[in-house]
Amino acid sequence: MGYMACTATYCNASYDEVLTHMSPYGWGYMGIAFGLGLSVVGAAWGIWLTGSSLVGAAIKAPRIRSKNLISVIFCEATAIYGVILAILLLSKIGDGGEAKDNDGVLPDDWEYNQFYFAGYSLFSSGLSVGLTNIASGISVGIAGSSCALADAQDASLFVKILIVEIFASALGIFGIIVGIIQSNDAEFPSS
Amino acid sequence: MANLCVHNRDFGFTEALCRGFRTGFLTDADYHHLTQAETLEDVKSNLQETDYDQFLANESAVTPAVILECATRKMVDEFKFVRAQAAEPLATFLDYITYEYMIDNVMLLLKGTISGRDVNELIEQCHPLGMFRDSTMRSIPTFENSPKGYADLYQTVLVDTPVGPYFSQFLQESSESLSTAAEVRNVLEEVEMEIIKNSLIKLYLEDFYTFCASIGDDTAEIMGEILKARADQRAINITLNSFGTPLNEPTMRATDRKRLYPSIGFLYPAGTAELAAAADEQALGQAISPFPVYREIWAVHQNESIDDRSIDDAFYEREVQMLELAFEGQMHFAIYYAYVKLKEQEIRNLVWISECIVQQQKDEINKFVPCFSKAAPWRSN
Repeated sequence: MGYMACTATYCNASYDEVLTHMSPYGWGYMGIAFGLGLSVVGAAWGIWLTGSSLVGAAIKAPRIRSKNLISVIFCEATAIYGVILAILLLSKIGDGGEAKDNDGVLPDDWEYNQFYFAGYSLFSSGLSVGLTNIASGISVGIAGSSCALADAQDASLFVKILIVEIFASALGIFGIIVGIIQSNDAEFPSS
Repeated sequence: MANLCVHNRDFGFTEALCRGFRTGFLTDADYHHLTQAETLEDVKSNLQETDYDQFLANESAVTPAVILECATRKMVDEFKFVRAQAAEPLATFLDYITYEYMIDNVMLLLKGTISGRDVNELIEQCHPLGMFRDSTMRSIPTFENSPKGYADLYQTVLVDTPVGPYFSQFLQESSESLSTAAEVRNVLEEVEMEIIKNSLIKLYLEDFYTFCASIGDDTAEIMGEILKARADQRAINITLNSFGTPLNEPTMRATDRKRLYPSIGFLYPAGTAELAAAADEQALGQAISPFPVYREIWAVHQNESIDDRSIDDAFYEREVQMLELAFEGQMHFAIYYAYVKLKEQEIRNLVWISECIVQQQKDEINKFVPCFSKAAPWRSN
């Protein structure tokens, strides 16, 4: 396993060589990008879903304007989870300058296992938060749209449908909690 | 599910707008005040408290005809506002709703010319939702009432309008039978207009149904139910109204009357085949007895002398029930159709109440079908 006929200078022996030769810093930063980017996608999706209904319904029922901004705030919260996670993960990554004194080669006592663990940990943590926040954002958006329309028709329905939205935004909280636990033990080695 | 995620991008605003208009319907309390009014001035001041507000402000005299015109104008303004905000395919859907009124207007102009009425008077009577360009409207009455006249009308005027395809299909079908039944056609001079109108509406309903099916999701499901119910209503009404007219002749039933039944609907194909053969009311009753909903409506018709409810009342009630249900779901187009039809029903109610007040028929005044009423028979509290 892992040995092929190719013996040229730059060909890879197999997939495990491809994957292990990707820098854990790359994995880490991709995790941060997914975590932040996908969270913001989810938040934006939710905001335009609920905002369009809110704007239209407020024409005939202006009283719903301020109360229904809560739906937008719930969506915004998923973006904030993404930012929190991104900042958390960023603080774990150093400046990546371990190899600059040594002519581009890592020191001999470098802890590769810890290095790879940190990279994978940050990547999966970012993915957890990003994907759950997309789901949460869309979910809050659709519920918020229905909330605005129902509130315009009958004011007593607002609080009841808000409870649906609270459950929907809990999905984002699950994501950030698990994401923080996943990245807890990650520590990039330093020289 | 995918529709739920992206529907609001294009249609969130228009849906919220339409639901805002839905809040403007008259409530049970409003209808109660209106039925207590003594004069039409009271009706006008009662309506000022509702969403109708100042719609009669510029009118000097209040009559039922004026109420009809102003209320229709208000509905059309709201509809046009929604249409202006609409993206595809909602824009085409809303246009389809107006085609029915275009057909009505074309038939009104043609019929009016035969009775020799003035063009301007006819154009004023046309429904505002189905207006063509003024030049088009004025040229319609100039054509003669014959198959060749209709062919000319189609080629020069109607081909550019949205109802052109229905006319061309109708001409195609009627020219096929013309060569075989030319002498029978002369007998139908009187019913000719009604047959044209019923054929056009039939083609329109089928076309609309296909369009809704192509949109898919909830729109196809809900509009499908509503249009099928309408198609069945037309089939039953055509059969019922044909008894005692030349259309009920045994030779005419299978060819001409059967051709008027739409090919959508719960009655198609088995029910309409039996309806086509029905010669009297008993046969009609037997033909629709396998369908529970229509069996009940038919029972209302048979008890008409006892309960004083006609078959039209029963059909109206069923239609209002289905249209109200359209508002139960979010993120589909059926609410726009339901809004137009329910608003029309409300306008009919207003005109009925006004006429009863003018003619001092207070015991008939409660015979209307209110929309979104908490006291509706299908709502059990």
